[in-house]
Amino acid sequence: MAVQELELKPSVPSSPLLGFWNVFRKNRMAVLGLFMLLIIIVLAVFADILAPYDPRSYEDIQSSDVYQPPSAEHWFGTDDAGKDVLSGFMYGARISLIVGFFAAFISIFIGGVIGIVAGFFGGKIETFLMRFTDLMLVIPDLPLIVVIVALTKPSLLNIIFVIGLLGWTTTARVVRSQTLAVKSRKFVLRAKALGAGNWHIIWHHILPLVMPILVVNAVLVISLAILNESTLSFIGLGDPTAISWGQMLNFAFGRGAMSVGAWWALVAPGFGIVWVVLALTLLGNGLEQALNPRLESHHLMPGRQTVQKEAGEFSPAPDFYRRDAPLLLDVQNLSVHYVNNGNVAKAVQNVSFKLHEGELLGLVGESGCGKTTLMMALLRLLPSAGEIASGHVYFAGRDLMALSEEEMADVRWSGISIIFQGAMNALNPVRTVGDQIKEAILKHIPEFPPRALEDRVVELLDLVGIAAEHKDHFPHQYSGGMRQRAMIAMALSCNPQIVIADEPTTALDVMIQAQILELLDELRKKLGLAIIFVTHDLGVVAEMCDTVLVMYGGVTAEYADVDTIYNAPRHPYTQELLKAFPDLSKLERRLSSIPGYPPKLDALPPGCRFAPRCPLAFERCTREMPALHVLAKNHVVSCHLVEQP
Amino acid sequence: MKHIFSVAPVKRFMSNEYILEVKNLKKYFPAGRGGWFSRHNSFVHAVDDIDLQLRRGEVIALVGESGCGKSTLALTLMGLEQATAGTICFEGKDITHLSDQERKAIRRRIQMVFQDPYESLNPTQTIEEIVTEPLIIHGLASHAAERRERVLRALEDSGLKPAEDFLHRFPHQLSGGQRQRVVIAGALVLEPHLLLADEPVSMLDVSIRAEIINLLADLRQARHISILFITHDLGSIAHFADRVAVMYLGRIVEIGTTREVLTAPQHPYTQALLSVIPVPNPRLRKKRMILHGETPNPINLPTGCRFHPRCPLARDDCKRIDPRLIQITETHHAACILISK
Repeated sequence: MAVQELELKPSVPSSPLLGFWNVFRKNRMAVLGLFMLLIIIVLAVFADILAPYDPRSYEDIQSSDVYQPPSAEHWFGTDDAGKDVLSGFMYGARISLIVGFFAAFISIFIGGVIGIVAGFFGGKIETFLMRFTDLMLVIPDLPLIVVIVALTKPSLLNIIFVIGLLGWTTTARVVRSQTLAVKSRKFVLRAKALGAGNWHIIWHHILPLVMPILVVNAVLVISLAILNESTLSFIGLGDPTAISWGQMLNFAFGRGAMSVGAWWALVAPGFGIVWVVLALTLLGNGLEQALNPRLESHHLMPGRQTVQKEAGEFSPAPDFYRRDAPLLLDVQNLSVHYVNNGNVAKAVQNVSFKLHEGELLGLVGESGCGKTTLMMALLRLLPSAGEIASGHVYFAGRDLMALSEEEMADVRWSGISIIFQGAMNALNPVRTVGDQIKEAILKHIPEFPPRALEDRVVELLDLVGIAAEHKDHFPHQYSGGMRQRAMIAMALSCNPQIVIADEPTTALDVMIQAQILELLDELRKKLGLAIIFVTHDLGVVAEMCDTVLVMYGGVTAEYADVDTIYNAPRHPYTQELLKAFPDLSKLERRLSSIPGYPPKLDALPPGCRFAPRCPLAFERCTREMPALHVLAKNHVVSCHLVEQP
Repeated sequence: MKHIFSVAPVKRFMSNEYILEVKNLKKYFPAGRGGWFSRHNSFVHAVDDIDLQLRRGEVIALVGESGCGKSTLALTLMGLEQATAGTICFEGKDITHLSDQERKAIRRRIQMVFQDPYESLNPTQTIEEIVTEPLIIHGLASHAAERRERVLRALEDSGLKPAEDFLHRFPHQLSGGQRQRVVIAGALVLEPHLLLADEPVSMLDVSIRAEIINLLADLRQARHISILFITHDLGSIAHFADRVAVMYLGRIVEIGTTREVLTAPQHPYTQALLSVIPVPNPRLRKKRMILHGETPNPINLPTGCRFHPRCPLARDDCKRIDPRLIQITETHHAACILISK
């Protein structure tokens, strides 16, 4: 297994185009749509070769050929002039697709330019262009097209222009809103700071990010244009020299196909229109999904939570925090794997720890070391690709890994709750904070007495230091620090025994960070909460933790009480992390950093996972993964160096 | 331009020549009208009367909480926001109000590094395109070979080695620290004289922060670039900055050498900021001076000293007197009425 893992290729695609195709091809309906469209395009392009008869020639046609039902000679029968319907269908596809594609091209071009210019420049230009767009949107398209085509010569070129010139309004609106969104992104500001002109920014920074939405929109505009052309031709306003599907329908209706029961003359072109519109719709949906990552499955959706037993070395977690406090959580040998296209990434391996009432555990490590994955595994909220490979999590005497999904849902908020990273943005902007806290309570305790609800909200807000009058305010009226407090209030709403705080202070200023830390410390003293504080910042946890678990590359590097971690660390990773910390008492000393980055979880080194960055690594480290050594009752280190005397 | 690449003979190069001089700079944003028929408009006083001088090769850390106006100051210095009043002089030239053409010429010499390396790179461009773009915008290095060489050198100088390996990658394939290096390379490729770094490390892991700060320290050393380093974390710049300016509600409340400000802070706000810097040692748990509330909104400023509503040492006088910067030593100034000379 280990050998196999080393050969895993990174799953990150090398170019956006390849990544796009990988997502797109998973959508079977979209691939089907693309295939359906390609068939029609091939028929249209090679009609000269593929069509059994030439519909433009009147040779060999006798009066007995009129409206013949499908036969071996004429698969789709013949039409009112005795010509082959199948051949007409192929040539008709040509006309319908030409009109569709060219008209859509005109629409997309106009809509794209108007949308980008309006969105990017704003101000008076935007007002003028968008009011003009609104005006065009109010005028019903089809009657206007009919009137214009009726007044002008019904040539194919005129039809293309009229449909194209009237079909851009939705594109303009969609593109404008996308441009507004892209314009506010930081890389546009960066380009301005570099001295880039407006057109440079539009061409290099706005257009590439607007393009996906333009492509999706184009597909839908094409099908609309084909439908419009068919309608025009059907009511007799088509180009009489270019026989499109709509024109075929028009002839069949106008020349008595219905009265003689020649259904085939109607079905073939009608089927063509439905086929192409369906193909484009399927394709459009697929493109939208592939180009817009937000439509992909949410990363917190409960996935497969099967527990697969894997034989592994058992590493007991030491039990050293205040022996008198009752044990709340006992995590034993928890391993989490991510499975992607048959590749296995060992995100967390054999992590064990214990948590007591009132204990504050710091879970420390750089980004990508498996901290968040470990916490998500505890709550069984792994993304769908993740699975718990082995291990037990005992909470209040029950193994959480053996619970049903319903039982687990009960534990999730009222037993163990979580404050997510960047949670300040997780509040619903259109509802008051008080309402959202009420909702959180009712979701988990539906029988909560409605009269007491209001008091409970005030009590919770008071607990986190928010005055009662703010309960009817909206999140945008809160500052960043207050929003984080509101999230903590929500996490406390069902009286959990354990709160997991996943980087709760990362995006906050030092002063607000200090306020939040003080609050968490108070809460645990007041409510006897146990807290798991996940952070990349060793300095933050030194202030208040009892125990610290340092993780690296998915494994425990060092686990000890707070004093040991800071004053007698044995793992080189812990030592290096501490050195990277600015020491204000030695101003002249240069900061030391740990060169390199944590390993990718799908390309783990064979030996110790820290070996490639470790200043003390020796030959054995690159070969053999160190075991978890229990040095004293309260100190676990995974390093070969501690074996030496 | 050659001197830029020479190795500095002294440990910290700094000349007495000012590269940037800011005088009485103000930037107000309109904050809506008083009412439908009222002519009285209110303003956000984002930057309110700032004086600042930066020497060639000097690093000044500008410290303050969000909402104190430090990012607006950077954008105004960059010319991305128009100053309401005051002057900005860069290399002896007044650049407060410039035409687009003149501004573009200045932009080559003042570059900016943004806070969020996840947002400040265009996800559809390769690293090569990102770092080449500034050269194309400014019409520098017309030959493809020369352009490529400058891009490779900028990437290597930013610590992305071997640079060739990064050229064809996309931002999403890099870690946060590597992305920030790409942003720095994109600024360096123009060989700027002044770098405005707006919280360049606050989104990064602690272990990576040290790397980026050391990189900037090396660049200043090797190229004599002046740096205005904007941050909310006094701890991260202690080893790097020559001087520290502490900003509160649009004003500088304390400025001095790093040693003076960190070891003998005079303003209660600076003292509070220093007290909450996490100390990585549980044996040194200390009394923290946690200020309650957050920076008030800069539309309706408090009377007197702007800090008095949050100040633990405030007296009655503080509500009346708006203190100006008082000189403590030749290099150290602070704005507080409690300072005894």
